[in-house]
Amino acid sequence: MMSIQIISNGSQHMACSQYGSNWAGPDGDRLTVLIALLKEIPAASINLNGFEEHLEFSPSVNVQAIIEESTSWMVDEGANNYLHTDKEAYCVAISQSTDVPNWPDFATKEYDKTMQDDLKVQWKIEVEGVSQGAYVSQAQHTISAPSRLGLRAQIDGERLIWPPRQLNAMGQRIDSEGKQLSETATILTWTRLSAAGAPSEFSNRAPILDGVATVLVEFDEGPKGVFMLADDESVKPEIDARVHFVLRRLYGQDGMMHYGLKAMLSKS
Amino acid sequence: MVDVAMVGAGQTKFGNHPLGLKGMWAEAIQKAIHSVDNGFDSTDVEEAFIGSIAFGGSQLGNTAALLTEHSGMEGVSVRRVENACASSGFALRDAWMAIKSGQADVVVAGGIEKMNDLSASRKRYWLGVSGDTEWERLAGLTFPGTYALTARRYFHEFDSTHDDLVHVSVKNHMHGFENEVAHLRKQVSFEKAQSGFMVADPLTLYDCCPTSDGASAVILVADHLAHKFTDTPVWVKGSGAGSDHLALHDRPSITQLRATQSAAAKAYKTAGISASDVDLAEVHDCFTIAEVLATEDLGFAGRGLGGTFAREGEGRRNEGSVTINASGGLKSKGHPLGATGTGQAVEMFKQLRHQVEPERQVRDAEIGLTHNVGGSGATCAVHIFGRER
Repeated sequence: MMSIQIISNGSQHMACSQYGSNWAGPDGDRLTVLIALLKEIPAASINLNGFEEHLEFSPSVNVQAIIEESTSWMVDEGANNYLHTDKEAYCVAISQSTDVPNWPDFATKEYDKTMQDDLKVQWKIEVEGVSQGAYVSQAQHTISAPSRLGLRAQIDGERLIWPPRQLNAMGQRIDSEGKQLSETATILTWTRLSAAGAPSEFSNRAPILDGVATVLVEFDEGPKGVFMLADDESVKPEIDARVHFVLRRLYGQDGMMHYGLKAMLSKS
Repeated sequence: MVDVAMVGAGQTKFGNHPLGLKGMWAEAIQKAIHSVDNGFDSTDVEEAFIGSIAFGGSQLGNTAALLTEHSGMEGVSVRRVENACASSGFALRDAWMAIKSGQADVVVAGGIEKMNDLSASRKRYWLGVSGDTEWERLAGLTFPGTYALTARRYFHEFDSTHDDLVHVSVKNHMHGFENEVAHLRKQVSFEKAQSGFMVADPLTLYDCCPTSDGASAVILVADHLAHKFTDTPVWVKGSGAGSDHLALHDRPSITQLRATQSAAAKAYKTAGISASDVDLAEVHDCFTIAEVLATEDLGFAGRGLGGTFAREGEGRRNEGSVTINASGGLKSKGHPLGATGTGQAVEMFKQLRHQVEPERQVRDAEIGLTHNVGGSGATCAVHIFGRER
């Protein structure tokens, strides 16, 4: 399940990506590593401790909302679980001490340094750009955060609805409080788009990544959705394969980074 | 109830067009007017419906009034109709309903899109603007992607492979080769179409229609005026439309388009015919898999047999059970989004009056059908045309 490495030492948990402390992967950063870590350890309250200042780009949905929608953790400035990171390493730590920990030597999965450099440049260009087509506002990202980040489905009679809808056929507003979908699903079909076929948001990164893979999946509870595939550099999706979901960078625009869930092939 | 006759039809060549928006629209209207056998005065037009998505952002509001101003129709009641790639299919339906309802006797329906005059960076404007922006586009999907998802699922569910799509591509390029208004007038071999550049796996370049500039327009009149304009009107015998969820993931099945099924059922019913009566059909083959689905959803092939239909050449001009895309379809004739629906009607006007290039003429064409889809199937308009009322 995990694409991060965790080293726990009593009440202190440290994590970085599978690529080690120098890179968080093609669509990762300190925030995506943090969310992966929070999902792996018992939930409590956390003091952000200035964490946002260490992110390369401002998220379109604030960090507190991302944490609380994506995990069972709560953000509390009075909590004594302190969040640590620094600008030199793509690592995060949760500790009951206010002191920045000494980062251990994490194992490093081999990666293409040129790709890393190219992607870093393209992310910057992408974030500084504006939409060349359809556009989703920051406000809309915030409105849909419970569904996008927390897989919160609506209940309408016997039906589970995801992504959210407004009215049912009786003209009644469908309650947004519903059921959280399980974080596993089955691939119904998939594609890999070349740069020529990808939306402008992804067109700069697509050539570097050899295309952008998208899967249509069916959740175990019934609703379906489309997600980009994460960490698929050396694997190919198949119909009926199982996936789980991880928080990653989706795209950047208007000076902000948009985060969301991506599907990751589960090991059978 | 009033019957509706098409007495004139015209279009620009589809492709990378040298004229601007106003010039293209003027050319389509001029050709439509000149096609009216006994003459036509555009000041007689009471209502106009013009389909377009967005002109690449150059004129987002009051588009239709700008166009009628430049085509001698100042003062006419006009509006833009927008339903993505089905915009002018719905403009045609609105025009048909305006006459059917008795509110107007002379109506213009048309469409226009200018897609190739944008800078390289702005050309991406067109990718994914008509899908579900929030939940599909931002999961990496454009229409090549959504149709690729459909194609792969279709191959999984039925006895079909990518080679069936290659047959569609080869046929439509063959049909469009002789069409003087087609965008891509070149024949394509099976081997070449089989090995095209991968755009969205499993769809290659030869599975995708081009992005075209173009304008098209038709003139519809009430039955009591038809013979004032021509001795050989083409009757709009039936019209139907439907819609479905915008995003693929909300649909019960992605290997059939409920919007098409619904539109076709209504169109057949209003025309009083069935699929087996149709001699030729212009179907919305924005991607080759879309034609395979259309042949099923329109009733020309059974469920899951659209691939077999293509493989066995059933849609070839004057060879199969019904000629599919005699014009070359979107694949070869081109796809100027908002102009495509009425462009299909222009083809039907000429085919049913036996006025196309001799090599392209569908023999004994009496009844034709047009099928215009918006996006990945969220909207669809189907029309039935006939030589007889």
